[in-house]
Amino acid sequence: MRRVAVLGVGVTKFGKHERTSGELFAEAAVDALADAEISPAKVQALYYGNVVGGETEHQLHTGPQAASILGIPTVPTTRFETACASSHAAFRHAVMEIAAGISDVVLVGGGERVLNVSTAASTEYFAYASDASWEQPLGLTFPGVFALVARAHMAKHGTTEAQMAAVAVKNHKHGVLNPKAQFQKEISLETVLKSPYIADPLKLYDCCPFTDGGAAVVLAAEEVARTRKRAVWVLGTAAASDSMLLGDKKDLSRVMATERAAKAAYTQAGRSPADVDVVELHDCFTIAEIVATEGLGLFEPGAGGIAAEKGWTSLGGKVPVNTSGGLKAKGHPIGATGAAQIAEIVTQLRGEAGPRQVDGATTGVTHTLGGNTATVLVSVFGRE
Amino acid sequence: MVTLKTFFDRAREGRLTGIKCGGCGEVAIPPREFCASCHARAWQVVPLAGDGTLVSYTVIRVAPAKHAADAPYAVGVVKLSEGASIFGRILDVPFEKLAVGMPLRFRPIVADAQTSVGFGPIA
Repeated sequence: MRRVAVLGVGVTKFGKHERTSGELFAEAAVDALADAEISPAKVQALYYGNVVGGETEHQLHTGPQAASILGIPTVPTTRFETACASSHAAFRHAVMEIAAGISDVVLVGGGERVLNVSTAASTEYFAYASDASWEQPLGLTFPGVFALVARAHMAKHGTTEAQMAAVAVKNHKHGVLNPKAQFQKEISLETVLKSPYIADPLKLYDCCPFTDGGAAVVLAAEEVARTRKRAVWVLGTAAASDSMLLGDKKDLSRVMATERAAKAAYTQAGRSPADVDVVELHDCFTIAEIVATEGLGLFEPGAGGIAAEKGWTSLGGKVPVNTSGGLKAKGHPIGATGAAQIAEIVTQLRGEAGPRQVDGATTGVTHTLGGNTATVLVSVFGRE
Repeated sequence: MVTLKTFFDRAREGRLTGIKCGGCGEVAIPPREFCASCHARAWQVVPLAGDGTLVSYTVIRVAPAKHAADAPYAVGVVKLSEGASIFGRILDVPFEKLAVGMPLRFRPIVADAQTSVGFGPIA
């Protein structure tokens, strides 16, 4: 198997846009190719993430559409849909295509547009990633899924609403330092705790926003990347799944797919949680960050809430988490999120993150969760 | 084989149907081809009493478009006495009385052609 490196990354401003998901991806891809110093003519495939294009844009077949807008209409392209983990799944398959020797240069990315429809409509479309026979007819929402996780975590470990709120406060603080973030505004613990319930015990400020945006990553084989000083190496990339139905999850206070994917990715990388300097993980809800820090082995089960409260996951803390602002403040254009997280970790490992730089970071991790915790991807990156 | 249609046709009449693995004894909610625990394919259809305890719950206040008129409403995961767990709407329990571990009993929710799983107080 050949080694694979990230040569370039690009991310649009996250927020509301008057452009289609394909246009947003293409903007990010232009930046990623320029960053990589790779001509579009060299790209041999596009692996693309898009989730609700069929609903919000009446658009399927988004892979070739995105490639056409970018101006590489003849490369093979496939759209991946694993709910919110879509472009991280696309990334893993692109890595495998290069590692297997099929292609030398592959583009990965995603685009999503949801702010052109109402909140009630997008809430319904996102809920399509839960089960249509058992869960959707009862009005389950994604805040609802993570509210069940939160309640189970609170019952088992004594996690508090204030600890969850600390995650939101921290990620908003980080988001201020990211000019691409949807929210560049600090919020207080009191603001979070006084915000209205969306799905008890999760409140408005425990939830990430709906977001339009695009992100892209240029991958290359060792032969191409070897001479590139800013290359960041993919040390490991793993996917794991779990039962689709909430009732079939073995323990709602844990995300088993995170634990399985993390173990596989660390093994591939020859790294352990103690080696990790910086993490971008899936904080679609504040409790999701707490459970992910535990599942990634950064903290003991039950200690994730304490870690957030004590500042261990803040910039300057033991292991900074979501320096970009995370999904909470940077925003969550679902099909683009995995690629955007990779872009942040690559920027950190290159030492190019400016005011939000984690000093001396050499090993980074990205973690992306799909929908009802049934899909998780974890990747490990390094400078060497 | 118990299909989704069979399950919900019976649920509409107030009966919950499970399947029990002949290999390891695990009780699952159909449809399922292989047992996820031991990968045997030797199911026996078993009636489920419908009694269980609440594992986790939430009150959904911002609902999808289709359910906006129902909000706020409680949903949760209930562990049935036979072992399998199932997601459902929780009816007729004041929100402030909801608690992890409380006993609940199955009752069908029927709306036109759609049947779904509900739970209510035992007494």
